[in-house]
Amino acid sequence: MTDFLQNCIDGVMFGSGYALLALGFTLVFGVMKRLNLSFGPSIMLGAYAGTWVYLNFSQNVLLVVLVTVMITVAVGIYVERLCFWAVRRDATIASMVSSFVIWMQLEEVAMHLLPERTYPFPAFFTSTVIDIGPFFVRSEHISMFLLTLVLLALLHLFLFRTRPGLAVRAVSDNPLASRYMGINSSNVLFLAFAVVSVLGGLAGFLILSADSQVTPFFGLWATFKGLIAMMLGGMGSLPGAILGGLLLGVVEANAFWYGGPVVRDISAYLLLFMMLIVRPGGLVGQRIVAQQQAAYERV
Amino acid sequence: MLKVDNIVTRYGAIEALKGLSLEAREGQVTCLLGPNGAGKTTTLFTIAGILNSHSGSITLEKDNLTNLSAPGIVRKGVVLVPENRLIFPQMSVEENLVAGAFARPRKDQPAINADLKGIYERFPPLKERSTQSGGTLSGGEQQMLAIGRALMARPKILMMDEPSLGLAPIIVEKIFDIISLLNKEGVSILLVEQNARMALKVAHHIYLLEGGKVTFNGNPQEMQQDEVIQRAYLGAGST
Repeated sequence: MTDFLQNCIDGVMFGSGYALLALGFTLVFGVMKRLNLSFGPSIMLGAYAGTWVYLNFSQNVLLVVLVTVMITVAVGIYVERLCFWAVRRDATIASMVSSFVIWMQLEEVAMHLLPERTYPFPAFFTSTVIDIGPFFVRSEHISMFLLTLVLLALLHLFLFRTRPGLAVRAVSDNPLASRYMGINSSNVLFLAFAVVSVLGGLAGFLILSADSQVTPFFGLWATFKGLIAMMLGGMGSLPGAILGGLLLGVVEANAFWYGGPVVRDISAYLLLFMMLIVRPGGLVGQRIVAQQQAAYERV
Repeated sequence: MLKVDNIVTRYGAIEALKGLSLEAREGQVTCLLGPNGAGKTTTLFTIAGILNSHSGSITLEKDNLTNLSAPGIVRKGVVLVPENRLIFPQMSVEENLVAGAFARPRKDQPAINADLKGIYERFPPLKERSTQSGGTLSGGEQQMLAIGRALMARPKILMMDEPSLGLAPIIVEKIFDIISLLNKEGVSILLVEQNARMALKVAHHIYLLEGGKVTFNGNPQEMQQDEVIQRAYLGAGST
């Protein structure tokens, strides 16, 4: 039992990172109703830029954060212009495929720029073990978890307390109606992409910093974990993304403890598969679909 | 006030509006009647900039609205209450209303807050439910919300697309009461309706559309005197 609870604590700590990635996916999906598969790779490129600065110029962690986020945003905007702005709005498949193509392109770029594949990533947090009763947590995980909470609070403030945030939610809730209200949706999409890229850059930094290394596989990893966590929670749902991330973290931590690394990776896919069969809309997504349906049928 | 002159609007190769002209006068309720597929909604969409016209012109007072972007047209003061209400189901009632004022400049904020209060006074059920999500409202309340949301943009002319659609008869009466009250307070309205009987009660001027063209144009008395129309739209003999 203690082991299980310990795993849950670890899972929640690490799952918070998944939650951030899932939020990135779900926000973009919400406003565009399209998947941005190259979200992970754009974070990877940002992280490579960060580590490049770290190795060649400055050990200043804040500078590394800044470069990571800025390059992630720049790549994010590149992706948005190419895959979503340039491709027609109703061409869902075309923009998804083009985001996949850009993903491959970004990985090529990363391999050529940084041929050694694996690079150290600055550990922002000192690593110690903190005991809490019968349980323990690693300090870098606690720091990551707390910073994630801060980011979530900031994102919440942006979405629910500011005018541009309201526009993002309006476009996501009812694109047609927001058009009738005079909301310029292409500006909103651009803004959402920028915000999501900042979020992604910071999430990438937090995760990699706890890992203290970055590889070209990070793009694939981040896209998979983010997508799975989003699907678990329900596409387009913000609380769903957080729940899905935490659930994924907890299940993986337990699978790792009881079955080893192979079982951990399989468990994530198995979990998603089961969720899609039992509740295709995800943990909270179903409710949104039902609510929207009901809203139109009301007399 | 709002003048539509000889517009042609196409969906691909299909011509939905074939040179349609009409005028909505200031302070009046102008009503577009006609069967399904006559081009009523297409007319509203073309005015609102959701669809682009192929030729012809649209002017509001002295402003040329022809093929302006949708946000641009809202800023000029032409606001659409869409068919099926299209509220924001997951946002609260208050957020729905605030979103309606989105086209107004940021410095308008004090006036926007005052307008919000005004909407709540006009529609008390919305105030009671201000924190509820829009999707939980009843159909009639949603229609109120859609109208309130459009008013938040301070329209010079309000375009309403089938506000009675899918509502119970008693609620339809209420919605039409709201329409005539708004009009008495000086709001100009361009109304599209299938419910001819209700529309005739509030309209000052009627345009009958068929096949993308205006086939009749006059006031309700004139319309009721026209025997062909009487039979087709109002059910001959029943009143």
